[in-house]
Amino acid sequence: MKNVLALLILVLSFTGILNAQDSKYVDAMKKNIAMMDSLRTMDNMKDLTNSFLRIANAEKDKWLPYYYASYLYVITSYSDTVKSKKDVYLDEADKAIKMADSLKPNESEIYVLQGMISQARMQEDPMNRYMIYLEKMNGNFNKALALDPTNPRPEYLMGMTTFYTPEQFGGGAEAAKPVFASSLKKFNEFIPKNELMPKWGKNSLEAFLKQNNLLQK
Amino acid sequence: MKGIISICILVSLIPAAIYCQTKITGKVLDSKGSPLPGANIYIKGSYDGTTSKTDGTFSFKTNEKGDAILVASFVGYKKYENKITLKKVDLKIDIQLEEEITQMNAVVVSAGSFEASDEKKGVILRPLDVLTTGSTADLYTSLSTLPGAQKIGETEGLFVRGGSASEAKTIIDEMIVQKPFNSSVPDLPSRGRFSPMLFKGTVFSTGGYSAQYGQALSSALILKTQDMPTQTITAINLMVYGFGGSHTQLWDNTAVSVEGAYYNLNPYNKVFPQRVDWDKSTSSTSLSSNFRQKITENGLLKAFVSYSKSEVSLYLPDLDNLPNKTFYSLKPEDYYSNVSYRDILGDWNLFGGFSYSLDKDRINAAGNNIAQDQQLTQAKFTANKKISDNTYITFGAETQNTLYDDTYNQLNVKLNEIYTAGFVESDIYFTNDLAAKIGIRTEHSKVLDKFNLAPRISFAYRLGNYDQLNFAYGRFYQTPEKDFLIMYNKFNYENADHYIANYQYLGENQTFRIEFYYKQYHDLVKGTIYTYPILNVPVVPFSNDGAGYAKGIDVFWRDGKTFPNCDYWVSYSCLDTKREYSNYPTMAFPTFAAPHTLSIVFKRWFESITSFLAFTYIHASGRPYFNPNNPEFLGDRTDSYNNLSMNISYVARWFKSYSVIFFSVDNLLGFANVYGYRYSTDGKIRNPVLPPSLRSVFLGIFISIGEENQYQ
Repeated sequence: MKNVLALLILVLSFTGILNAQDSKYVDAMKKNIAMMDSLRTMDNMKDLTNSFLRIANAEKDKWLPYYYASYLYVITSYSDTVKSKKDVYLDEADKAIKMADSLKPNESEIYVLQGMISQARMQEDPMNRYMIYLEKMNGNFNKALALDPTNPRPEYLMGMTTFYTPEQFGGGAEAAKPVFASSLKKFNEFIPKNELMPKWGKNSLEAFLKQNNLLQK
Repeated sequence: MKGIISICILVSLIPAAIYCQTKITGKVLDSKGSPLPGANIYIKGSYDGTTSKTDGTFSFKTNEKGDAILVASFVGYKKYENKITLKKVDLKIDIQLEEEITQMNAVVVSAGSFEASDEKKGVILRPLDVLTTGSTADLYTSLSTLPGAQKIGETEGLFVRGGSASEAKTIIDEMIVQKPFNSSVPDLPSRGRFSPMLFKGTVFSTGGYSAQYGQALSSALILKTQDMPTQTITAINLMVYGFGGSHTQLWDNTAVSVEGAYYNLNPYNKVFPQRVDWDKSTSSTSLSSNFRQKITENGLLKAFVSYSKSEVSLYLPDLDNLPNKTFYSLKPEDYYSNVSYRDILGDWNLFGGFSYSLDKDRINAAGNNIAQDQQLTQAKFTANKKISDNTYITFGAETQNTLYDDTYNQLNVKLNEIYTAGFVESDIYFTNDLAAKIGIRTEHSKVLDKFNLAPRISFAYRLGNYDQLNFAYGRFYQTPEKDFLIMYNKFNYENADHYIANYQYLGENQTFRIEFYYKQYHDLVKGTIYTYPILNVPVVPFSNDGAGYAKGIDVFWRDGKTFPNCDYWVSYSCLDTKREYSNYPTMAFPTFAAPHTLSIVFKRWFESITSFLAFTYIHASGRPYFNPNNPEFLGDRTDSYNNLSMNISYVARWFKSYSVIFFSVDNLLGFANVYGYRYSTDGKIRNPVLPPSLRSVFLGIFISIGEENQYQ
């Protein structure tokens, strides 16, 4: 009887530790995710990227810390004005998202980010790079949509590319409108699977649509 | 009960831990002692850590206790790990990070070569540049706007730094191409056989190239074919002198494409005045197919096969019996195939390839029937591995079996050459700023029955963020051409030593390069063989007694920054060369070299009309030509060569895909260019060698029909 009790307590105490461990992870992630809305400087971004990477290093089986680190590297690449440095950030973004992908294959959000990396690489030198990266980007966004048709982010980003593509090449505001509308509809209906899952994009899409008078009545 | 006690201990420890924080402070520095901001410093396995500030300092608190590992990591530097003990006492630790030597951070050895690639950083050209330079969308025409390459109009080939066309080799997926150009008729150049669209990367070496390649005394053009295509697509091409089409089908791990084309220059040559007396202008049919199969994560199998057949005939002036003309006809038939596999197995980067080609020319020259068949079977493998922190090693071997079968009327000559070669090369990164490539190659030729040993060394030293110095030395061997080998059986290898030094600035959208070179030729093959044009000079006996040199300066400047939407480059080559070879009775400045060559390429993109406008101007000083009346051999020079060509590419979006309308004019200003003169046997009559027409015009429409984007 004594043994059984000890075993029971042991089991309970372990689950307790596990829960404590998990809540530590959730708390740290929540704190970091909350900070993403208030990023102002390059130092802020580097700080937060490093923080996500520390969590990723400590938690061997979690893909989200890598995902957010990768996302922040992409954002940093857009913010850095030194052109030659952009690819360095995107290389790091690539490494991080590949780690995420190895931990969680076939995740729609990971494909969104891979598409975003291609998009960023293309924008550095569209004339020479569109041939490689346009297809890669579309491939990733389409795969993201196929894996989760309710995910609003692929269409948000595809719409941006369409918007900035000259009209002669099938782009422009009119062509982008229906894509944005579909994305916005999905944003309004989107419920993240848990509190740590990505939910970025809605505010910036709405702001962008307002700024360019694209909101459909 | 014990369990409960342990739980109690555990629980009582938790709040205690909170008050057990240890503060760690310090500074992160690089090996030169400068602060490194942005480094990630943390306790391994925990979330505790921070990022170093602008002055390199850091400070953070941790709840961990006892033995722990402090980690510092920063992109481009080796990870720092240090065992520490955490026991409430504040720690002060300064960290020095060592720069990581990786191929990505390190200086790239680039003496003697120009690279065009989408994938790599720090290259001088992009594949798109190849398509929009000059007027013909021909790879070799574009390369002739780079310094070191000569502008030769009367025959095809790459003439590099005083070298003849046979001294430059084209290599596709690691293997030499027996016949990179279409067959041509006397004094009229032909185009490259392979479309520039097939390749994702181009390295044009004007000297000092790697030990992985051989059999080219002057230059190697190293081409890498495209990997997996990215979409299923159909293309239709309509041109002033023909049409073609292709289809690429893409599956998950497989892609197949087929392409066919038919050209006929007869209608074009009837409309635009020709200086050539054509009987039947060139007509050709070609078929090709590409296959790609992804076998493992990194393993890709590539196969390419092509077949083409063409026909051309014309009348050449018979200078000894004017106004008589001699009839000349040519019917070539060419097969080419290349299969290769590349993979990464553990630490090893492996490549294996096989190629077979058969080229048949049927010539009728003034009633003489000439048949020239050439068959090449070759195989090559290379292996590459990182053997230490800063050293990579590459080795490999190749073998080529060539069968020549020539018939001149009833006379038949056969020759079988088996060439084998092996090489070892190492890339050593002493620091990120100093790198060396050291290699050695050995070759054996069955016909010559001799071995050779060719060392190759090159260095790169980075001066600042954007500029570097390069040095190269190498020895290059080449087996004499078939025309000589069938005449005499005691030949040795021809060889050349290259010495190259350059300075290169590779800024953001601005490139400057100046290169000095000296090339010493030894053992060049001498002897008279009666091929066109036949020179009226004393018969030279066969030997390896020829020699020569070439020295000069190549300058390149490219600027895509100063003028918005504009990109231009300027190349200048200064060349001094002399050689005694082939049927040359003495040392002379060869016919295929100009002392000064200048080319200017200017491109502008017009966003509003989605069009590319490009101009190419080439100036080359006069080249020597053979005049039997001049006692000095090759003592005469032509007038200088000038050409301004332009092209417009209009990019349109039809059928949800991109289409291009390409229009070009060669020699827009109508410069009267003369490439040289041909003399009658008595030297009394001469005929200029001219381009086939004063100007030439090209119009093509390239339509692609892809899959619709699926997201709408």
